[in-house]
Order: sequence, then C-alpha cells, then structure tokens
Amino acid sequence: MVIDDSSAMRLILGRIMRSLGFDVVEAPNGAEAIARLQSGAMPDIALVDWNMPVMDGLAFVNAVRREEKWRQITLMMVTTESEQSQIVRALAAGAHEYVIKPFTPDAIADKLALLGVLAY
Amino acid sequence: MRILIVDDSRAMRLIVARTLRLAGYEEHELIEAVDGRHALDVVAEEPPDLVLCDWNMPQMSGLELLTALRGAGSSIPFGFVTSEASPQMRVTALQAGAMFLIAKPFTAQDFQDALDPVLA
Amino acid sequence: MPYIPSADDLEVITREVWTSFLDGDPAGLIATSSEMPADKITGCVHLTGAYTGSIMLQCSPPAARQAAAALFSIAPENVTQSEVVDAIGEIANMVGGNVKSMLPGPSALSLPSVVQGLLSVPGAQVVREVQLSWHAQPLFVSLWQQAS
Repeated sequence: MVIDDSSAMRLILGRIMRSLGFDVVEAPNGAEAIARLQSGAMPDIALVDWNMPVMDGLAFVNAVRREEKWRQITLMMVTTESEQSQIVRALAAGAHEYVIKPFTPDAIADKLALLGVLAY
Repeated sequence: MRILIVDDSRAMRLIVARTLRLAGYEEHELIEAVDGRHALDVVAEEPPDLVLCDWNMPQMSGLELLTALRGAGSSIPFGFVTSEASPQMRVTALQAGAMFLIAKPFTAQDFQDALDPVLA
Repeated sequence: MPYIPSADDLEVITREVWTSFLDGDPAGLIATSSEMPADKITGCVHLTGAYTGSIMLQCSPPAARQAAAALFSIAPENVTQSEVVDAIGEIANMVGGNVKSMLPGPSALSLPSVVQGLLSVPGAQVVREVQLSWHAQPLFVSLWQQAS
C-alpha cells in the first residue's frame, strides 16, 4: 500500500514496488488508508508519507498499531531530510523502517530486503 | 537530445515545439505528454534530457511532478513554461529543483536564454 | 490601497499574447468599442486568495476560430470545437496569469473554463474592462472582483 497525498509520488512509488514484484494499492492520506484496511485490504507492507492532510503518517502508524489484526503489516515511512528528527516518534509508535527523500529505487529495495519483505 | 514538453493544452505544446525550432533546437527530438501522469510514464521508459513543463494542469501540477521526481532521486533538467511568472513563483520553482522558469507569452530569444546553458 | 491593473495594463498584456502567438502585426489589434454578439465565446480563469475574482476574455465566434487557426497553424474553416476551447482556454490562462502577477498575492489561479455565451460569476463585479478589435472582430478583456 502506498500512502501519499501527491499523486505523482504514488505513481513513482507504485512503479518501484511493482517492479519489485508487489501488487500495489494506493491511498491519498492516512484516513483513506485506514478505510481500505477496514474493508479488507491486508498489505504486506505500507509505504507511508509523513505529511498528509486529514490523517498524517504518524497518526496512521498509531491507528494501525492499535489493532491486533493489522499487526503483521510492515510500516515504512517516506520522509524528507527536515522531518528526520520526527522519525524517532514514528519508530517509537511502531513503524519499522524509514527512507529519506531523495531516494533511489535501490534504496527502497535495500530497506525492504532489510525488513525481509522483498517478494523474490 | 530528447526534450519532453508537458502541457494539457495541445495549442501550447505546438507553440513550444514551434518556438524550440525557431530558437535553433530543431535537431533535438521533441516528445509530448498531455499531463503529469503521462510525463512520468515517459520518464520511466526512456528519460529525456530536459523537461519543459506547464505549471497549472489538471490532476497533477507541474510543481507536484517536479517535487516527486526530485524526491525519487531524479536529477533530470527541468524548466517551467508558465503564464504566472512572479518573483515568488520563480523562487518556488528553483527551490523545488527547476533550472529556469519561462514566462508566457515568450519569444524564441527567451527560449535560447534559458535553454542554451542547459543544452550546451 | 493595493494596485489593481488598469485597463491599459489589460490591453498591454493582451497585445503581448497576441503579437507573440497570434498575430505578429501589432496594428492587427486596436482599441475600439464595439458590440459583442450574444453567441460570444468566453474564456475565464478564477483567482482565489489575496485577490479573489476572475479574468474574462470574450470574443466573437469568428475571432475564436481565427485564434485557434493561428495557434494550431491550420485554416479557420478546419478548426474544430475542441481546438477553439483549447485555444481560448490557453489565451485566458496566459492573459490571466500575467494579470495575476500585477495583483496582490498570494492567490491561486484556476484552470481555464470556456463557454459559448455569457458567463456569470455570482457576487463578482467588473472592475476593469478593455474593448479591442482584431480584424474587425470584437475582443473584450475584463477583470472582475468578488464582493467581500
């Protein structure tokens, strides 16, 4: 699942994830992503933008971690340099990993390999 | 060299292509995209050497496209061709990673001034 | 009192667009009052923010076809409706974008709309208007402001 308010970024991340063998579901913010999860979507991993309207990345991580049934979803934050200091909060809230923009497709693949979710 | 022209107006894409030829860039390959999504497809398939992009487009603005490209690690030379050319606009464009901003209406000279340093 | 572009400013901007892309002859566009037909083509962009209002461009259907013909480098009789919409929309975008640069900011510029006939914007009043003629066809450019 790719969660970002920028349709351009969703397209780019979606393409990267598909090239790594994933099927991709998109959401423009945390609230829509939660709605998708509630209607049955069960992604192996969610790439989560930090700054989004309605429900931001941190709030999304908190919401996901509150539910037992979503425990196995790996959460990876996608963040900018200036938000790096806030990543500690996301990790404390239950995110597993983060990648900083500008990222390369290899950087994403490396992080996914670290997490053990790469669909080889 | 490949130059990608992104504008939802076919009239403007024609004018940009025409002006590129008038400005002496007729030996370069010109490709067109009707919107940001289409532009991302082109960039993913065969990255151009330069992107000339409108600012205001439906679904995805030029700024959103550029921001996402830079966020995904792309250093493709990128310039805006826009009807709004205030100093603040130029600053926003440059900060987002654009190399120049050409104001509409423009002349062949405007194109030469902006593109010569990039395509030399 | 913030500066609001004058009718002369609207004319200068329209001329720049015209001589750049539509008619290299500066004498092709003249300032003259005339009558705008009921079946006029209207292109419009809206501003929202520090300045809230609209910039409207109206012209006769033959002028709209001429404009599209010039932009697309085709004969006026071969111009399609979608080409007229594209051309008038882009012209409204260019005139509007340049007018926006002279208005108090920051504001957001909308995508253009093009209709045949009168476009009414509820609550808006015209604050500037220039009446021009292009090859004997009427062309009006107006700036509207939303009443606060």
